[in-house]
Amino acid sequence: MQLISLRNVSKVYPNGVAALRGVELEISKGEFTFLVGPSGAGKSTLLRLLFREEVPTSGVVLVNGHDVGRMRRRQIPFLRRQIGVVFQDFRLLPQRTVVENIAFALRVTEVHPREIKRRVSQVLELVGLTDRALAVPPQLSGGEQQRVALARAMVGHPLVLLADEPTGNLDPANANGMMRTLLEINRLGTTVIMATHAAQLVDRARQRVVAMEDGQIRRDALAASYSEEVVR
Amino acid sequence: MRLRTWAFCLTEANQNLLRNPVLAIASITTTAVSLLVLGVFLLLSANVNQITNTIENQVAVRAFFSQSTTSAQEAAALAAVRGSPKVRSAKIVTRAQALSQLKHEFGDQGSVLNSLGSANPLEDSLSVTARTPSDVASVAKQLSRVTGVVRVSYQSQVVSRLFSLIDGIRAVGLGLGILLLLGALLVINNAIRLGIIARRREIAIMRLVGATESLVHWPFILEGLILGLIGSVVAAGASWWGYAALYSSASRSLPFVPLVTPIPFARDIALLLVILGVLLGTVGFRLSVRRLARV
Ligand SMILES: Nc1ncnc2c1ncn2[C@@H]1O[C@H](COP(=O)(O)OP(=O)(O)O)[C@@H](O)[C@H]1O
Ligand SMILES: [Mg+2]
Repeated sequence: MQLISLRNVSKVYPNGVAALRGVELEISKGEFTFLVGPSGAGKSTLLRLLFREEVPTSGVVLVNGHDVGRMRRRQIPFLRRQIGVVFQDFRLLPQRTVVENIAFALRVTEVHPREIKRRVSQVLELVGLTDRALAVPPQLSGGEQQRVALARAMVGHPLVLLADEPTGNLDPANANGMMRTLLEINRLGTTVIMATHAAQLVDRARQRVVAMEDGQIRRDALAASYSEEVVR
Repeated sequence: MRLRTWAFCLTEANQNLLRNPVLAIASITTTAVSLLVLGVFLLLSANVNQITNTIENQVAVRAFFSQSTTSAQEAAALAAVRGSPKVRSAKIVTRAQALSQLKHEFGDQGSVLNSLGSANPLEDSLSVTARTPSDVASVAKQLSRVTGVVRVSYQSQVVSRLFSLIDGIRAVGLGLGILLLLGALLVINNAIRLGIIARRREIAIMRLVGATESLVHWPFILEGLILGLIGSVVAAGASWWGYAALYSSASRSLPFVPLVTPIPFARDIALLLVILGVLLGTVGFRLSVRRLARV
């Protein structure tokens, strides 16, 4: 069974913009997928459908067998506990320490404090921030902040990690570091979907590339590069 | 929810309150003042009511019989009047009793009545007290229809004046109290709204990582409850102890004024104020739910 499938999915926003048009996409467990395409292509909209931030106008969105678009309101939190999300703008709580920011995700889902402690130190190590555990976000560099956000997304052991332009606000060195960590997370077994227009990162990673334009999928290729012309 | 999750919600609620202490104090103050005004008026109206009742019980309706009425007719009238549900007590005052009472009231000057000799110009009468003050007028009317009765009298002005005083106090107190309560509601609602806006980033993250909506809501419900509860406890405490102090000093200096006792009256009013305060906090939150959904 596919972990994620989109069947003839369209999304029209209330203002009339058709952000997705007849999208068909299957992603299996353990895959790493780049979602590429120009700004406005519909990448963020596609990701938002997966964690039920938006509902499709038509078509079916399945995540781990659940019809996300028709899911009951009270089930949404339980879907989201299985999905980690990282954004371009980090979305951290500025007054809370790194540890508190990460633990927050588990505290609000009622995980036992001992388990929280264990898992937080685990993900801190994964993203290499153990020595910054007690800093607050304003004291951290952009690269470090994004790693805190990544740790928060991963601390609940999600089935899938969604990253929407995670390197968009990072300098090249930090972007490379973030990319390495995402690939490492995938190697450890988590399915990763990353929307980006960082061509260099995509080209170097040699992973599946789904290229979008005007709300449609134009290309879907394994071990591919950012644009079609680049042939190795 | 688990205990530690309640603790989490409580901490969040407290942080909201501490983040904007001026607004928290304003909420508590308006709640306390509005409930205190309500409490004062409730106590005032309870007391005026009690005083009226006492006076009313002392105001008897007198129905005078014509000189020609026989004692059998009078006894029948007494039995009929006693059967009425609006009548508390009734007795016959004979003209001899009336005269001796009159003499007694004249005291030292009682001798002026001696000039009457053996003649007694007074009439037999029925002295009736009504069960409740509002029954007085209808009892009087009833008596005027009794055979042999020629004249009915009672102190109607005193009673009706006290009645309109009670009504006035109730209306003013209720109106003012409700107005102030609405003001308090507005302030509490505002405090919660500002808390929602201040915490919108946190709320968005909570939803993103899979917090349930009840967990998103509870800190704000608790915030409303805390504000309403503190405000109402202040008002309840002030009205209860204030009244108890007033009562003990008044019962020493004005023992003949029949004030209501602090227990149960002031205590029950204090309890009512606390319930209203909690309600105020809850409604203050309910009014913000839509705002919370849009964060
Ligand atoms: N909430 C929204 N309301 C209305 N239009 C939107 C909204 N979000 C995105 N859009 C529009 O949908 C289209 C696709 O946007 P988006 O999914 O953000 O693309 P991308 O992430 O590939 O840049 C764009 O034209 C954008 O303006
Ligand atoms: Mg986007």
